[in-house]
Amino acid sequence: MKISPSQNWRLKDSLYRLALTKCKRCGNVSYPYKPICNNCGSLDVEKIYSKGYGTLIEYTISYQVREGFEKQQPLVVGLIKLDEGAIIVAPIADADGDIKEGARVEAVLRKIRSDSSNGLIQYGIKFKVINNDSNG
Amino acid sequence: MVSIIGSSFIKVDRYYELSEKDMVIEAFKQLIIKLKELPPIDTIIVSSGYIDIISKSLLSALKLSEGLGFRNCNVMRIENGDNGAASLLTAYSLVKSQISKAVMIIGVDKFADYPSKYINDVIAYNLDNETEYQYGLTPHVYAALMAKRYLKTRRLDYDYLAEWPLLMHEYASENPYAYLKFKVDRKTIMESQVVAEPLRLFDIAARADGASIVLVASDDIANKYSDAPVKIEKIVSSSHKVDIISPSLPAVKEAFNKLNMKLNGNTLYDVHDSYSILAALEIEALKLANDSKPFENIRAFEINLSGGLKARGYPGGATAIYQLAEAYMQLTNTFPGRKSSAENSLILSADDLGNSVYITVLRR
Repeated sequence: MKISPSQNWRLKDSLYRLALTKCKRCGNVSYPYKPICNNCGSLDVEKIYSKGYGTLIEYTISYQVREGFEKQQPLVVGLIKLDEGAIIVAPIADADGDIKEGARVEAVLRKIRSDSSNGLIQYGIKFKVINNDSNG
Repeated sequence: MVSIIGSSFIKVDRYYELSEKDMVIEAFKQLIIKLKELPPIDTIIVSSGYIDIISKSLLSALKLSEGLGFRNCNVMRIENGDNGAASLLTAYSLVKSQISKAVMIIGVDKFADYPSKYINDVIAYNLDNETEYQYGLTPHVYAALMAKRYLKTRRLDYDYLAEWPLLMHEYASENPYAYLKFKVDRKTIMESQVVAEPLRLFDIAARADGASIVLVASDDIANKYSDAPVKIEKIVSSSHKVDIISPSLPAVKEAFNKLNMKLNGNTLYDVHDSYSILAALEIEALKLANDSKPFENIRAFEINLSGGLKARGYPGGATAIYQLAEAYMQLTNTFPGRKSSAENSLILSADDLGNSVYITVLRR
């Protein structure tokens, strides 16, 4: 079994809802949510949910993919700053042509991979470009 | 004082006929040939990043030590991804604290048994398993993003990165133990396959099978069993996530600050060049060159004379043990490739992306 249903259930806030940690002490916002700030170590944090919008800082096109991701080759991956301030590296869906630095992106729920021997499908967040103008 | 009193390794290569245990036995045979007499080893540390996943083997330290005929020893495996220097810190600490007198560190990993798409999956276990791994990402993607940001923020073209593989293959061509023992020209590098743009095939270290051994010992053992002990002057470490947006390696900078020592005499450097971009950032963080063009005077100092991970080969968790073994050979004038007359060796060991870092200084 390559995909664990219980693991996916446990990770639902990270994989499906972009739950973030917002530190009340240093103000740092990070992904995924953890009950401690990964910047200053404070336990005084709150869980917030991203609205799913952000700005593309950089991207790459990967021509070597992992086992189970062959159909997604080449995989376009973006370095994204969410509007809430957190940085995330995630796949870009439906990418065609040149993507511009500064493009606006939106989170979408997509199939990530499947476990053919057990019929399990894993879903997760990808991003799609909604405005390819570098000025957003 | 803690010293290295012996080292050995097999050529990094694809060993379809040999298991991890077979490879370690071959490296051990080389060690036995070199040493006049094997000291009484009381601890065996196995440095392996992937033996449990790739070869489905736990208790590897027990199995490997039994395979070499050792009984009644402290045995342990230390897994720290591709950063095997955690094993050296452990060995050093055991000897320094007089818990052990002679520690044998065995570095071993094996990648050739499976196709690259499976190996890419295994290597991705180094990423955050709750998010990054789940999205299907690979370390290559992170290195590519760093490289792209690096070139952009420093206004450099891709051909700048080609300096590193060009030099590493030149050095490797003189190293009989190198996996990719050949020179390449700039055109070949520039036209090689794009793996994750802008990174091409020659920007990524070649993972292959390897086994290496280093003997770490106390003074009394060193004096009795070695004519040429090499002192472990200092070992420091740091961990800090890499900065992708403004590419830099905070862990290397922090470890280098902790080192806080003036190296007298010439120094041979060895860095963990899993990617060309990592080499550039490591050279910057070690202050060997200016921040904008670390490869500009790359021949002005001695670095990665074996050919580095890029061309000598990248045997996973065994890598740091190769670095140590080669540095020991350089400092005892027994290295068979490009030679150094340096008094010191500074070895930077890291995980695949430079988040976890060890710096070791050896002295003749």
